[in-house]
Amino acid sequence: MTTMKTTTLKTLAYQRRDVDKGYTNQYLDVDLSAGTISVGTVEEKIKKTFIGGKGFDLWLLWDAVKGENKWDDPRNAVCISSGPMGGTPAYPGSGKSIVTSISPLTGSVIDSNVGGYFGPYLKFSGFDALRITGKAQGDTVVVIDGIEEKIEILQIPGLPEDAYALSDVLTDHFSQGKKVGISVISAGPGAANTRIGCLNFSWYDNARKRVRYKQAGRGGIGTVFADKGIRAVVARWEQVSLKTNNPADLEALKAVARCHSREIVELDPKQNEMARLGTVHLVPIMNDFDLLPTHNFQYGSHPGASLIGREAFEKLFDPGYDGCWKGCTVACAHGVKDFVPYTGKYKGKKVFVDGPEYETIAGCGSNLGIFDPFTILEINFYCDAYGLDTISVGTGIAFVMECFERGLINTNHTGGMDLSFGNRVNALELVHQMAAGKGFGAIAGQGIRRMKGIFADQFGADPAMLQDIGMESKGLEFSEYMTKESLAQQGGYGLALKGPQHDEAWLIFLDMVHNFMPTFEQKAEALHWFPMFRTWFGLCGLCKLPWNDIVPEDNKDTLEPAKVMKHVNWYADYYTAVTGNPATPEDLITMSEAVYNFQRIFNLKMGYGTRDHDTLPYRAVGPVTVEEYESRQDRYDTELKEKYSIDITGKDTAWKVAALRKRREAQYETLKDAVYERRGWTADGIPTVATVKRLGIDFPEVMAVLAKNGVK
Amino acid sequence: MITVGDQELPWQEGLTVATLLARLKDGHIYAVVKLDGRLVSRPHFNITPVPDGARVTLIPMIAGG
Ligand code: SF4
Repeated sequence: MTTMKTTTLKTLAYQRRDVDKGYTNQYLDVDLSAGTISVGTVEEKIKKTFIGGKGFDLWLLWDAVKGENKWDDPRNAVCISSGPMGGTPAYPGSGKSIVTSISPLTGSVIDSNVGGYFGPYLKFSGFDALRITGKAQGDTVVVIDGIEEKIEILQIPGLPEDAYALSDVLTDHFSQGKKVGISVISAGPGAANTRIGCLNFSWYDNARKRVRYKQAGRGGIGTVFADKGIRAVVARWEQVSLKTNNPADLEALKAVARCHSREIVELDPKQNEMARLGTVHLVPIMNDFDLLPTHNFQYGSHPGASLIGREAFEKLFDPGYDGCWKGCTVACAHGVKDFVPYTGKYKGKKVFVDGPEYETIAGCGSNLGIFDPFTILEINFYCDAYGLDTISVGTGIAFVMECFERGLINTNHTGGMDLSFGNRVNALELVHQMAAGKGFGAIAGQGIRRMKGIFADQFGADPAMLQDIGMESKGLEFSEYMTKESLAQQGGYGLALKGPQHDEAWLIFLDMVHNFMPTFEQKAEALHWFPMFRTWFGLCGLCKLPWNDIVPEDNKDTLEPAKVMKHVNWYADYYTAVTGNPATPEDLITMSEAVYNFQRIFNLKMGYGTRDHDTLPYRAVGPVTVEEYESRQDRYDTELKEKYSIDITGKDTAWKVAALRKRREAQYETLKDAVYERRGWTADGIPTVATVKRLGIDFPEVMAVLAKNGVK
Repeated sequence: MITVGDQELPWQEGLTVATLLARLKDGHIYAVVKLDGRLVSRPHFNITPVPDGARVTLIPMIAGG
């Protein structure tokens, strides 16, 4: 056991409440400013309305913050919850935690879905959710010990700076010899010095005898965590079985878990090979379909893509079981062992890299013009160790590189660094600078929205160009898919509640490749059903990958193959078996609708959440520049001629860029209208009174927010 | 002979992924196939030969994200 000088600031001894049908019906409240720990009750009405996971988080966060509060206000909370099925070991993908907070990037609600053992251990220790408010003096560690029935706020000076070393030390210290019983949440120095900090959630990999990590990456929740002066939250628990959630119908749970688990074991090797390769198989596929973001989303493919895809990482990944929760047969959380960085604090030392996943490869690889798997691994490693979100890092540096190549910024601004696309050494240097809050990294770490302001106001760059090529919406950096040729995915990003992250809707293939939704109404229907169903995973403590990354062999013969209805039915059975509340597939959608609309109104409460905030940079909608247009000239010429009946004879490319832009921007506005109507919102994108009443979220405070925004 | 999923089909000279899929009832819905363990996407179907004895798996590419 690692020895440390520990001062106990507060202790709460409690009697653990066993889980009943997936719930403990209580939450843990830690106020760091007051130094208090208390236990609150989750009442029946709240449970019914918000289900769990993100729903519980939002309810606790709404209660904590006022509309005028900023992200660094002590009232802002970091809320963490799994969900009623969270912690079930036999059903694939059942160990997720959902984290919410007010984001330093968007100023509004952010949520992030993450693996690792924390959420289940928190629940089994007696709490459906955890809310942390206030600010500590620093060096604070919160320990939730479900075995000894004790919560502590500790002060531990001298802890290691980076998230890897920190989690190692804390796992060792608190495990009492059973490391698998510890999960640690931590940020890192990068989280403190940027707005794009992530949280690392750990689990102990018993086979490899090492602490492993997954990240709650999006929206700077790690930055909020660091700002609170907190270094880590530790959960301790041990025994987990199918009975730990005390399901309503154990036999039904076993039956449905067996079906899904077996199907994955049988079909995954024939399909995407998630258990062997994870999401890296997407790299060559996206490249082939011209959808892999390269050079800041200008282009969708590159000859170098084969160097950073499936074939590279199948050689690099360390073979073995890689489930980020016990018993997940998808087991896609791969890593690379004995990697030796050539920069930074770990230069020359062997490290284990958790990842990379597709998003990191595309964001920190192709989008930067970097087609070298080792540089991607090194950026991945340091982002995790520093507590930085690899997506915001990748998309942010891509923006910087394009600005540099277009002369919008130059070496006078970058501290002498050449930040052209493909400059691997300087991309890494920028990551180190971001983490340290030094040099040009101090600016880049603020995220694209703030960089745009600084580049225009202080460096004299053209604000219109910055707006067109800065790939952020609502203040959040885009995740790594090209949306130019898929109107539905433009909606998937632009209309997502928290900003452009694909976890709400991933419709590119259905829309662009399969053309399953040619009309606005069909797109709007998809932009209703898919975000709602995907939201549901986050209410229940589940991972969405087992739903549609492996599909039944007869799925193509079903009426709606994209929905994988056989699995949706299993999920309804799963929910019923655990909670005892009978549910149909339609009920799952209604559950999500309530939480989804509540989140939209939460945005409104924070001063956002209307049509104006659902905008996209034009780079996400169509070609900004002549070169981009010419790279897909046939497609765009045909669209102008055939779809819009425009005579382009004798017109130059700049004229065609402008003509196409006018049409595509109008199209996106029409899509917004169709989606708002389908969701039961006003033309300004606000849920109507009838919608909130139908969903049972017509709480007085909700109605007051609507009324304040003219919806009565 | 070639194997497509669990099915054995006759091989013919000049067979490509595109012509193979055209012979199948639902061939048009696939955007990606696995040919002897290698992924092939639709833009390459026309130019990718299927050798005699190949194993082809049809990938239902609705995942991702
Ligand atoms: S599918 Fe992958 S990410 Fe999801 S729970 Fe399983 S191992 Fe974790």
